[in-house]
Amino acid sequence: MVYASLLANRYLVSRVIPLIAVLAVALNVALVVIVVSVMTGFLDMLRDSGRTLMGDVIITHDIVGIPHYERLIEVLEATPGVAAASPVIETFGLARMPYGRSGESRPEPVQVWAVDPRSLAKVTGFEDAIYWRTPEPEVAESLAADDPRLDREFDRLAEAMAINDPGAEPSIILGIEISPFNRRTREGTYRPEPDAAWMPRHDLTLALVPVSAGGRISEPREGRFRIANEFFSKVYQVDSQRVLIGLAEGQRLLRMAEGPLYDPDGELDEEGRPKVIGRSPARATTILVKGADRLTPNELKMRVAAAYDEFAKAIDDDPEAKVKPPGFVDIRTWEERLIDLIAPVEKERALMNVLFSIIYVVSAALVLSIFWAIVHEKTRDIGILRAIGASRAGVLWIFLQWGLVLGVVGALLGLGLGALVVSRINLIHDAMGEPAPTWSIVLAGVLAGASLLGAIVAAARGSLLHGLIWSLATILLGAIAVGLGLHEGAVMWDPSVYYFDRIPSRVDPWLTGFTMAGAVLFSVLGAAIPAAKAADVDPVRALRYE
Amino acid sequence: MSDPRPATAASPTPPTIPAGILESVEVRKTYDLGRVKVPVLQGATLAVAHGEWLAVRGSSGSGKSTLLHVLGGLDRVDRADGGEVRFEGRSIRSMGRGELDRYRNREVGFVFQFYHLLPELTVLENAMLPGMVGRLPLAWRAQRPEVVARAGELLDRFGLGHRLRHRPRELSGGERQRVAIARALVNQPRVLLADEPTGNLDEKTGAGILDLLGEEHRRGLCIVMVTHDAAVAARADRVVWLRDGRIEES
Repeated sequence: MVYASLLANRYLVSRVIPLIAVLAVALNVALVVIVVSVMTGFLDMLRDSGRTLMGDVIITHDIVGIPHYERLIEVLEATPGVAAASPVIETFGLARMPYGRSGESRPEPVQVWAVDPRSLAKVTGFEDAIYWRTPEPEVAESLAADDPRLDREFDRLAEAMAINDPGAEPSIILGIEISPFNRRTREGTYRPEPDAAWMPRHDLTLALVPVSAGGRISEPREGRFRIANEFFSKVYQVDSQRVLIGLAEGQRLLRMAEGPLYDPDGELDEEGRPKVIGRSPARATTILVKGADRLTPNELKMRVAAAYDEFAKAIDDDPEAKVKPPGFVDIRTWEERLIDLIAPVEKERALMNVLFSIIYVVSAALVLSIFWAIVHEKTRDIGILRAIGASRAGVLWIFLQWGLVLGVVGALLGLGLGALVVSRINLIHDAMGEPAPTWSIVLAGVLAGASLLGAIVAAARGSLLHGLIWSLATILLGAIAVGLGLHEGAVMWDPSVYYFDRIPSRVDPWLTGFTMAGAVLFSVLGAAIPAAKAADVDPVRALRYE
Repeated sequence: MSDPRPATAASPTPPTIPAGILESVEVRKTYDLGRVKVPVLQGATLAVAHGEWLAVRGSSGSGKSTLLHVLGGLDRVDRADGGEVRFEGRSIRSMGRGELDRYRNREVGFVFQFYHLLPELTVLENAMLPGMVGRLPLAWRAQRPEVVARAGELLDRFGLGHRLRHRPRELSGGERQRVAIARALVNQPRVLLADEPTGNLDEKTGAGILDLLGEEHRRGLCIVMVTHDAAVAARADRVVWLRDGRIEES
């Protein structure tokens, strides 16, 4: 109905009050877009960091480990869709950390990963996570001039990558948050405390508890490790707990390296020693698998499970293999493995969506009250339209369409505003961290002064309404000027405290679409009751309406 | 000039009236004001011939406007009230809602004492409005040039050709009423229903409006005009009185 569109558009632009409703809808949408985008960005950051650490699919068995894991890796790497695989031993240990120059040390519980950096780098973003290294040129440009990483002396990447090389000195890589002497700056970078220990110049002692292939726990064994480097995974729980050592050294300390296989029945040889009946293969507790880009983690998981079955069957059928792999291993995608990290943030984001959706009800109530008043005011117009042949449905559609236009315009404005803030969120955050520029204080002060003048003129003319509006503007602008003057810079998310250097954000198209659709729907719902009231108006009474 | 056929005065039994374009037969209308029921029309019988200009006179509150609303299908006469309105012999009570909307849109045109223009629309848009009503977008796209031309021609003929883009608030009372008449005529209705069309205008301006109506009447338009003013009524072919809810020949 053409006249309904014409009137809906004219009604929208010819009054100020509907524009307030548009503004309310726009602010609601912008608010939801900003909050949800930041939470989505945070979730993405968690996921990226988590995935970077462990590849796409993880095979794990308990601390006893998976024997013949090298053959498993061969089978996996021959499987279509698998790009690479890397063995890991996951365990816990006690690290005796160096504290300061005094040589004092204290044991700390740590999560230990024994890894092969060369293959790990093919499966995960391990190499990029090594912190003390010369940064890439584009990263170097953004660093402060006195960042220690710009000094070649701090480049220890080669040492980090070589910790499992044959003949390498036992070395360890610490999570960057393990050392109490790494100071996190407001830029989100790390610096060693002045005059304190920079970890890669020190050694530490690590104690591990070996478990035999049969599951027997032995006496703890200690090893001395040179600190090769530190890593920054961007997941605090990992960076504050995990240390990496070479796989071979880990297998040696944990008695998981290849060695003689003794007779399990305890028979002794002629010299009274346990009888050797073969070789016990080296073991690893975990295999990290990286898939080809085209595969989803779940598709990869199914292929990995099939590959494991093939491997286990081949070993079972091999009469030479005295030690058999476990019949059941845990195979999970990286998302399943990180569920305890990701799920709470996903829940919070969903909760935020629900909570913020409530404000749409407020918008709908606002639209309803405004439209109710407008229908009241437009009663005679409705009578005129009915007199010239407009149907009740036509009248209904005018107001519904008006609500629709109001919702669409508000949602688009809100999307624009939200996207603008999200794209500039770090600039805004940085500006908030600085004292307000003088020009902004002067501008607010001048505007407050002009408003005061307006209030005085209005009072002299005896206009109560204009006097009140100008007085409120004076108070508001004056408060802004004073607030800007007193503002010394407040950083909401200080990277030295929070675990991200830039506020992460991503506008999720689906969530944004739902947000906008919600705003439009609630605007139309808000308009529906007044529209139905308008359609019910008796045209004769409407024409007589004063 | 048309040849008006006389309406039959009210009588106790349903009268036989000659067929016209628009007829009311024993129409009764009572307004229910809660505890009080106000009978307005009490058996109003009237026939309007093709091309006739009929004036209905009556004192204030006599039900003139109600009669006009009933004739125009704006106020329905249901069975409980009694009587019926016929357009070209067909009872408008038999029309469905959509058909009645089309009747008001195509067959009759209303002119009101207070013009009742839509303030958000321009003069041209106000005049075109009935042309837009009842047409779906595709049909409107096809019909638009014709409606624009017709509205423009009417406004031009009424001396408002230079005011097409103006808003109603920028016009005088007489100009507004001319826009209202253009709006009523844009769909080329068979009958114009005018409710005190000069009631809000000074004598000279009112005379101008009557001249304009006279001109349209000479072009063949049937007009039913209610007024309390004898001088205005004198411009019509025929005058009837509405007294005690019934039509009486003058």
